[in-house]
Amino acid sequence: MSHSAVSPLRVPLVDGGKDLARVSEDVCSPIEHGPTWMWYAAFALSSTVLAIGFFLVSDQIWTGIGTWGLNKSVGWAFDITNFVFWVGIGHAGTLISAILFLFRQRWRTAVNRSAEAMTLFAVMCAGVFPLIHMGRPWLAYWVFPYPNNMGPLWPNFRSPLLWDVFAISTYFTVSATFWYMGLLPDLALVAERARGLRRKLFRALSMGWDGSMRTWNHYEVLYLLLAALATPLVLSVHTIVSFDFATSILPGWHTTLFPPYFVDGAIFSGFAMVLTLMIIARKVMNFEDYITLRHIDAMCKITLATGLILELAYATEMFLAWYGANPYERFVFMNRLFGPMRWCYYTMLFCNVVAPQVLWFKRVRATPWLVFIVSILINVGMWLERFNIIAISLHRDFLPSSWVSYHPTYIEIGTLCGSFGLFFTAFLLFCRFLPMIAISEVKGVLGYARRTGEAVHGA
Amino acid sequence: MTEDERRQYEEQDKVDGLRRRDFLQILGGSFAALAASGCGLSAPREKIVPYADKTDVTPGLARWYASTCGSCAAACGVLVKSRDGRPIKMEGNPDHPLSRGGLCARGQASVLDLYDSSRLKGPLSGESATTWEQLDAAVVKALDEARRRGKSVRVLSQTIPSPSLDAAAAEFCARHGARRVIYDSASAAAILDAHRLTHGHAVLPRYRFDQAKAVVSFCADFLGAWISPVEFTKAWSSRRRPEKGQGMAWLAQFESRMSVTGANADLRAPLRPSQELAAVVELGRLVAKRLGRGEFAPSAGSLPEPVSRALESAAGRLAAARGEALVVSGSPDPSVQAAVNGVNELLGAYGKTLDIRHPSRQRQGLPDAMSGLIAEMERGEVGALVVFGANPAYDHPESARVRAALKKVGAVVVLSQRRDETAQLAHYTATAPHALESWGDAAPVEGTYSLVQPLIAPLFDSRSEIESLLAWSGRKTSAHDFVRELWRAKVHPRAKGARNFDEFWNEILSKGAVEVAPVEGPSGAFNASALARLRPARKPASDGRFEFDAYDSVSMFDGRQANNPWLQELPDPVTKVTWGNVALFSPEDAKSLGLENGRMVRLGSGDDAVDLPACVQPGQAAGTVAAAFGYGRPSAGPIAANLPTRKLLPIDFDPPGGADVYPLSRESAVAVAVLAATSPLARTQQYDSQTVPFTGQERPLILETTLSKFNDYEVKEEPGATLWPKHEYPGHKWGMAVNLTSCTGCAACVVACQAENNVPVVGKAEVRKSREMHWIRIDRYYGGDDAESNPTVGFQPMLCQQCDDAPCETVCPVLATSHSSEGLNMQVYNRCVGTRYCANNCPYKVRRFNWFDYAHDDLLQNLALNPDVTVRQRGIMEKCTFCSQRIYAAKFTADSEGRPLKDGEIAPACAQSCPADAIVFGDTNDPDSRVSRAIRENKSYRVLEEIGTGPAVRYGVKVRNVSEEKA
Repeated sequence: MSHSAVSPLRVPLVDGGKDLARVSEDVCSPIEHGPTWMWYAAFALSSTVLAIGFFLVSDQIWTGIGTWGLNKSVGWAFDITNFVFWVGIGHAGTLISAILFLFRQRWRTAVNRSAEAMTLFAVMCAGVFPLIHMGRPWLAYWVFPYPNNMGPLWPNFRSPLLWDVFAISTYFTVSATFWYMGLLPDLALVAERARGLRRKLFRALSMGWDGSMRTWNHYEVLYLLLAALATPLVLSVHTIVSFDFATSILPGWHTTLFPPYFVDGAIFSGFAMVLTLMIIARKVMNFEDYITLRHIDAMCKITLATGLILELAYATEMFLAWYGANPYERFVFMNRLFGPMRWCYYTMLFCNVVAPQVLWFKRVRATPWLVFIVSILINVGMWLERFNIIAISLHRDFLPSSWVSYHPTYIEIGTLCGSFGLFFTAFLLFCRFLPMIAISEVKGVLGYARRTGEAVHGA
Repeated sequence: MTEDERRQYEEQDKVDGLRRRDFLQILGGSFAALAASGCGLSAPREKIVPYADKTDVTPGLARWYASTCGSCAAACGVLVKSRDGRPIKMEGNPDHPLSRGGLCARGQASVLDLYDSSRLKGPLSGESATTWEQLDAAVVKALDEARRRGKSVRVLSQTIPSPSLDAAAAEFCARHGARRVIYDSASAAAILDAHRLTHGHAVLPRYRFDQAKAVVSFCADFLGAWISPVEFTKAWSSRRRPEKGQGMAWLAQFESRMSVTGANADLRAPLRPSQELAAVVELGRLVAKRLGRGEFAPSAGSLPEPVSRALESAAGRLAAARGEALVVSGSPDPSVQAAVNGVNELLGAYGKTLDIRHPSRQRQGLPDAMSGLIAEMERGEVGALVVFGANPAYDHPESARVRAALKKVGAVVVLSQRRDETAQLAHYTATAPHALESWGDAAPVEGTYSLVQPLIAPLFDSRSEIESLLAWSGRKTSAHDFVRELWRAKVHPRAKGARNFDEFWNEILSKGAVEVAPVEGPSGAFNASALARLRPARKPASDGRFEFDAYDSVSMFDGRQANNPWLQELPDPVTKVTWGNVALFSPEDAKSLGLENGRMVRLGSGDDAVDLPACVQPGQAAGTVAAAFGYGRPSAGPIAANLPTRKLLPIDFDPPGGADVYPLSRESAVAVAVLAATSPLARTQQYDSQTVPFTGQERPLILETTLSKFNDYEVKEEPGATLWPKHEYPGHKWGMAVNLTSCTGCAACVVACQAENNVPVVGKAEVRKSREMHWIRIDRYYGGDDAESNPTVGFQPMLCQQCDDAPCETVCPVLATSHSSEGLNMQVYNRCVGTRYCANNCPYKVRRFNWFDYAHDDLLQNLALNPDVTVRQRGIMEKCTFCSQRIYAAKFTADSEGRPLKDGEIAPACAQSCPADAIVFGDTNDPDSRVSRAIRENKSYRVLEEIGTGPAVRYGVKVRNVSEEKA
């Protein structure tokens, strides 16, 4: 298993001197032996939150959007903030699974499966909000260009919301396909190891995977192609989401900076979320040998890099508000800095600009609980960033007569929590019932730099 | 159904367990309100003649009938739209000589009072229902009993300028040896008293603002709620047309609170009520000096410097406009009014700008008569009291005494539409009809007569006041016959042009009003000696107290329409507060008291103390506090109590808004205590300036110029560059011109739009959440150098701008809002899925979202809905459509008559109602249309033009008639 082409400076990607059988054993353990008590505790919590969220959303659909705190001027607040936040979260998964794959970053193998799962669940969470934010969600199908006998009446292809529909549905479809395709060899493995119902189920799910060279060959080609297909989505989806704002006329929304700014912010927030999840998962699921400190270190570096780009975007935005001399635009930014909801902006600056700077330090990157705190702060900061853009731009726009304040109701806050409930419930179910780590891929890198690594680290 | 069949059905019912009859009862219960009348919706019994001279009724087609508004003594002429037998909209009658097509917010809203299901359903004896026969017998018996016992019989009412009702009351008084007492909740007694002093007889002049070139007003809110605001606004705005090249009338306002009139004044100075006499006398002295007359009157006190300066320039303007100048005052102090008369006499105003030979018949109540009556009642000398058109147990400053005194009266007979505070104390309540259900007439000023004709048979078991009074006088006659006979005897002979009476009657029924030869009253020589002994009734407040100024608000007036949801939700033109009154403090006082908006304060002490939320009002005179009448009525009805109309909705319940300040209005000064509690104001505008914080940019929303610069004023049209091809408008291109110079901000258009377009009312809690639904709102901005202590005010009606390149249209994912070939942004309700993206992208924030299914479960109230306009479901966006239903109706009519549309044929509800004629609508493709001319002549600009939306609404630059050194 030696890779003589690897530099002696490289370190192994998997710790603990695993052999091939051990990898299968470890990863399938939650499926075969059931999870730890911590999983049950986490599942109980997240499913409860999901149930509460479900109840609140049902109540809102039953009685009306008025149960939210929106008003005549602030037409979007928590709803679309949540939407953009969750779509952004998804981006790290795609980046890890597709772009890092194309760039031959082999360390991704330990995290790509769960990062992709995260993408799917995040897009599911995101998809809920455009649906439930509608005044009449039962007519949501009208946004799809389906053949009808009303003329036929097509949707408005000029509307960025319609572009969203296509962007998000494409994203979800491609991500799900990519993720499922990657699962096939592992599903077959689980089936091989199991008996009874699970064997039948996983056999069916693995779509007749036979492990032959021919199958592997097809699989590798398809995976590469899908990775290439998913790669542009990392850039396009959030670009299109940013068009919701950039193509409008509202000061604070109407800016050409948004596409790159949004994409970078998405990756930044996505990596923070991957870190949050992985730091929990490696502990809870006993995967510390697979999701190693070196993974965390690498992801911290990406977070730091994207964070720096984001800071440049913030600075550019502020500079242009001043330099552009558009009085409305200038006011919006002054209002972010000094207006009644300025604490949102300052909290965001702390979370997104100040906090990530600690990641410059190797010791911080090697301390999971510190990284965990930073990742949570970034999640908070990125949510606030969208809230700043959406609600705070709306609450004071062109005509001062229509300036209002905005206060969320418990339904909105509960719905946001509920989306986390949905996300974590789905993620925990995934951890419990599917191989959380790409077994076949990890096996492929098991021997990577093992000898040099041992020599260097003595472990 | 045969007897056998019936039995068979009943047997079956028992088997079914649900009695069919019960089921039908439940079903019928929904229509109980209608069924109570026994006749549902049916035409009135007598023949009525529509405005247009056609008599056929076509289902689905509206007919307009001329009548008279019954909301207040101003008695404006109205045209009532009747659709399928039910009146659904009231508009100003252009043929009425006083109101000339305008109608105020309260008048517009009164159509909803007709369908108020909390009105009385029938006559009451005590608290229990009775029949008219029993009621009449009991009332007549009680009246005879009173006389037998040697006690007096009194008839109490407010001023109702109806000759027929007066005649009926006179007949009643003659029959029962009764005396009539008149009081007014909004009293002009000081003016009457002052004329008795200065001219020898108590008279309320008719003010002729259309004759005035310079007006100085002391606390008279004549554009808001003073005497006859629609007539005055029409008249006044006709002199504020700089584009006609005849100059522009000038107005100075001295007042303690910021009124609608003060907001429209060219010069305004805050003045405490206690300083009014000194100010008027000073004005008189300055005018006398300028005109080279002898001393006007001894000075009545010193004045603050800004007031003296303002009086100087006012005196200059008045003296220069001698013969075309007018001074008015709303003061309750006869001394102030006498001094005002003196200034008017100096200026030669009598016979020119105010007329006491053809006086007003409004507000004739005198407080002495009323206090006499209260004392008489308290002594137990009144055996029977008949009250009509009044609610003294609420709307009189001595209401507590009135309530106690009423209990000492042998028999209290109240003629009322509702079980109001007075009716609750009545032994007999004769249910009175709404003005749209009854016959009547009005003569608000000498020589002007109009008819009230019913548009619908009474919805409830009510009987006109005229009929009731006559019935108790032993005469059974219908109100129609009585009015007609009175007109035959009294009005027809004075009419110009010889016609037989039937023709005359039919013509007046159709046209609504007539001017007849007036009866000239005495002019009375001016008695200058009256001015020598002027003593102010009000002393300055001492020991930390505040001078108190209670006022009639534009929306609530004296509270008689307090159960009207449109009026409760109508933002006050100046404060923008809905659903309740507030205590107005100057910014200076608010600072020293540590007050912020919504902080509760206690005004006064003892039993009369009221708790009100504070509101900081720029322009309020320091040391004064003001609050509006008409709120805090305990028995006005479920809406005034702000009960949740729809229990399923999670709309928070708020306690009834506001407090009754009638008792407090006896005080000239009140103590102010700041309480710990707060009650957030339900305000529709939170930020009051065009100058934004942080950057200090003044947004170019209301553009202003001065009269002298107006002719050279140039509108900079800067349509930005666009990548898109222009829209083609081959036929019509609808547009609107809003004249900011004439708009007074009176808010009549807001209610007119609400009535026309079925705009829902959302309630106090929802207004607090900034979710009011008005399609047209009046933005009000403060500005000027003294934005806190004495700001200049600009009003800007803001409605959908019907942009050419509308930001809303591109963003809707389902094409629910799209562009018509005539330039309208069409909102397709049944296509809307409610993403609210369009509202976010609207720079004018005129789109309104249905956050809930708003209450439409009062089936009776639903009869006021306009069938031509969709009632919107929850979850969809709505907005101004330029009253597209009226556009389509007019096009349809023109089409069916085979002719092109005429200019001016279409008037959206807002434009029609405007008493100031500030809104003109029409086809901007036609360069000679009224709207195109108005756009050119008024130097009109488009709001936020620079962002490239291309609005179809253009605002005529606001012209202030200020002296150059100030501009």
